[in-house]
Amino acid sequence: MSEDNDLDLRELSDEDLVQQMHDDLYDGLKDEIEEGVNILLERGWAPYRILTDALVEGMRIVGIDFRDGILFVPEVLLSANAMKAGMFILRPLLAETGAPKMGKMVIGTVKGDIHDIGKNLVGMMMEGAGFEVIDIGINNPVEKYLAAIEEHKPDILGMSALLTTTMPYMKVVIDTLIEKGIRDDFVVLVGGAPLNEEFGKAVGADAYCRDAAVTVEIAKDFMKRRHNRLGTAAE
Amino acid sequence: MARRERRINRQQRSAGLAQRPFRKLRNPYPKLEILSADQVEAIHQASLRVLRDTGMNFLLPKAVEILRQAGADIDTDGIRVRFDPALIEEKIKTVPPRFDLHARNPAHTVSIGDDWTVFMLMGSAPNVTDIDRGRRSGNYADFLNLIKLGQALNICHTIGGYPVEPVDLPASTRHLDAVAAMVRHTDKVLYGYALGRERMADGIEMARIARGISHERLLHEPSTMTVVNTNSPLQLDRPMLEGMIEMARANQPVILTPFTLAGAMAPITIAGALVEQNAEALAGIAFSQIVNPGAPIVYGSFTSNVDMRSGAPAFGTPEFAKSLLASGQLARRYGFPWRGSNVNASCAADEQATYESMMSIWPCMLAHCHMVKHSFGWLEGGLACSYEKIILDAEMLQMMAAFFEPLETDEDSLAVTAIDEVGPGKHFFQSPHTMARYEGAFYAPLLSDWRNFETWRESGSVEATQRANRIWKTLLETYEQPPLDLAILEELEAFVARRKEEGGAPPL
Repeated sequence: MSEDNDLDLRELSDEDLVQQMHDDLYDGLKDEIEEGVNILLERGWAPYRILTDALVEGMRIVGIDFRDGILFVPEVLLSANAMKAGMFILRPLLAETGAPKMGKMVIGTVKGDIHDIGKNLVGMMMEGAGFEVIDIGINNPVEKYLAAIEEHKPDILGMSALLTTTMPYMKVVIDTLIEKGIRDDFVVLVGGAPLNEEFGKAVGADAYCRDAAVTVEIAKDFMKRRHNRLGTAAE
Repeated sequence: MARRERRINRQQRSAGLAQRPFRKLRNPYPKLEILSADQVEAIHQASLRVLRDTGMNFLLPKAVEILRQAGADIDTDGIRVRFDPALIEEKIKTVPPRFDLHARNPAHTVSIGDDWTVFMLMGSAPNVTDIDRGRRSGNYADFLNLIKLGQALNICHTIGGYPVEPVDLPASTRHLDAVAAMVRHTDKVLYGYALGRERMADGIEMARIARGISHERLLHEPSTMTVVNTNSPLQLDRPMLEGMIEMARANQPVILTPFTLAGAMAPITIAGALVEQNAEALAGIAFSQIVNPGAPIVYGSFTSNVDMRSGAPAFGTPEFAKSLLASGQLARRYGFPWRGSNVNASCAADEQATYESMMSIWPCMLAHCHMVKHSFGWLEGGLACSYEKIILDAEMLQMMAAFFEPLETDEDSLAVTAIDEVGPGKHFFQSPHTMARYEGAFYAPLLSDWRNFETWRESGSVEATQRANRIWKTLLETYEQPPLDLAILEELEAFVARRKEEGGAPPL
């Protein structure tokens, strides 16, 4: 450990520093990530390049090892926290420069259900991947989802449930979105232990997400397609 | 860079098979007693009545003579031996309650007795099976593989005989090649067969050579073992008695195991079968103590029932479970170390094999069994050893080993501070209390797949038996032959060569 502390990030070339930041994200070293982000900013890197090359790429590696059962949950959460600290520095700069956004997610557990540990994990993992996450908590009636959508204009709406008795409420929310003509303004992802793909389709969600790692993959994939579509529409 | 190495380290942490280092296991829990003291006494007294009135056949004149001189009553046929209860009670007093079994690698020496529990590789299957090649006759190549698996699995404490009989080797010299192969390919406690005087004597001598010790020291350090089965009901045959005499004189442990299958070789009531088991065991144990007072000996419990529709033996049954628990109580009444088994009657390494095994393992644990024979690999009531079952068993027994670790309730473990820090409605994944402990907090499975359904399906819907198949292959690929002193190897090879020249062991 002592040799780690002796390492001076400023002495590293850009390439080595980015590599080191991938390792530091993997190890969940928040202070080092903040330092790395600041050094790259000083060296004139665009905030968006720092986000994609250093942070998102580093978390992609973490995601792979999480998916493959190599990392423990506490380790991944440490990584996500370190990423979040880097994002905290970058977010205002990204907004200033008008850089493409990773995406914004409104997430909440549906009405009648206060089981939220899975939803919280998803939220943290999404933040760890660079998404902005607005967590509206537990026991959400459709009105609360609508208010959050109105306020935050998310790219993704996430709903979770643990009970077979509460999961049908997801359809109530989605039907209301259709009724209001805003269903296609964002991607709807659903998850929770008793759900499956079939249920996701039946309620009209865009995807069923079986765990936190897969949620991040699916969300990134949807965002990529969304960017492409928006790009095409603009031309 | 040091940090970069961590990803590699973490990947390695998950890449290897989840095994804990070899260690002796102590059962910390209360013993489950299903019989009252009066019931134990009733079985004891009934077995003494059997030995007094019915007696037992000893099919070796030399053994009968030893018993006559000790004061037993010999029938006119010169075979049937009847015992005065006082003679039995007197002779069994010298049985040591505990002894160590020495391996050629001292780190693999185990203790028998007290609260120790030892898991032994399967022994004596005539057939071998795996899901790639199916069932086949026992042979030397498979014998070697199975010995290697026993060596590679840290949860396997000792060898338990030939895991499969190498029937492609000639019967007269098979024991020489087989025991020599055990010495070369494992450094865990050995096993010899009580199939007549010569085979047993050879097994003892090879165990001595393997450890590089003197004959004198061998007398003080049990270094091999054998099972002596009675030919139930109420007989001990010539080869077994010869073997028992050799072992007792060399101060090496015999596991005296009556073959009492209720309904066939024993009464159909479990109580009656236990009376017969106890009578046969007491007679055999008394005999060993007459030959050499203080010789290590183990009370064997194998009482199960048969299928009354076919006569086929059944294992891992409720009756078997009760007989194990009762046997533990009987052994403790006398202060004997005792042996049980991890057994089943399934024809495949399937769900039946696993749940019947669990129905054997749990009573062994609850009854504080000292030696769990056939811990790894047993199928078909003992007619086959399965590669995949070895892995299924390793998982179950690793779990039992972890189960033996005491539940701590010190201030730190009670975690009141952590609970307060987290508070209602949050989670513990990132609590400092968790962060300090998560890596080793829980049992890491060797075989279980804990991923969610979709991930499991995407990776091929591989079930436990198929995963076990992959694991034994990995174990064989990564097997490392334990080092053996060259002088020992030469002495061993010279001994085998000489005994082969002499013709090996005579036919039974």
